[in-house]
Amino acid sequence: MPLLVRKYCHIANREVRVNGEAFPVAESDGDGKFLTSLYRSLKIDYPKFFKMDSLSKLGFLASELILRDENPRFAPREDLAVICFNRSASLATDALHQAAIQREDSCYASPSVFVYTLPSIVTGEIAIRNKFFGETSFYVCEERSAQQIFRTVRHAFHDKATRAVLAAWVECGGETLEALMALVDTECQAGIPLEEFLRGANIA
Amino acid sequence: MEELILELKQEIIAVLNLEEVAPTDIADDAPLFGEGLGLDSIDALELIVLMEKNYGIKLKDPAQGREIFKSIRVMAEYIYANRTK
Repeated sequence: MPLLVRKYCHIANREVRVNGEAFPVAESDGDGKFLTSLYRSLKIDYPKFFKMDSLSKLGFLASELILRDENPRFAPREDLAVICFNRSASLATDALHQAAIQREDSCYASPSVFVYTLPSIVTGEIAIRNKFFGETSFYVCEERSAQQIFRTVRHAFHDKATRAVLAAWVECGGETLEALMALVDTECQAGIPLEEFLRGANIA
Repeated sequence: MEELILELKQEIIAVLNLEEVAPTDIADDAPLFGEGLGLDSIDALELIVLMEKNYGIKLKDPAQGREIFKSIRVMAEYIYANRTK
């Protein structure tokens, strides 16, 4: 069963590409504003976006870039899994939470920050938005390994209910902000073989 | 009271990241949950923290929130009557 990448996108260094083609985003200052700028460029009306942490915003926007032209767009699907990977989990949000609870003068945890101190929330945000009821999972890896990603995605298809996987490397930590997301399908007519795609994306 | 209502609207917009909402968009008597602003359970927790942090009001029973967070006006009246800072 060939695993073919039907559509993909890459967000890095404040540049966005969909299937290799540049996607225009208005100028912005800082990574946070870049994500908001990309949200506005996509002309989405989804106020919950503003409540997400950066990791979820990044994964959410990558999924929107891939799925925006799907037809039908929001039909419930039980055959589509969402699988994400990264190296630093939800570290950026963990640090925000830690800073809030370490303040001696005013120690108040923010519930809306705290809920994002799990990286897997990003897969939930994508699933909720798109009514995906298939597997969702998030793997925190020491290294960005094409082999591991390939094996994990291939394994997901062992579940007979799964016919497509939205797979992504979503990293948001320190100065890194990168999402590489692919819609992997077993039933599409044409696409890039997943192994070849992962090699071409310079994943070690 | 009107000053407190405006202050509360600004704080809620900031703490709940209601980026697309201006204070004038929030009607004083509109429901905060369900219809109206469409807030969720995490937002309710955030409002409980806001009450304690900014006004020194500690809700002992979270179920109280159901009454207090009915609208901005109800919330402001409760804060006005119970604030310790």
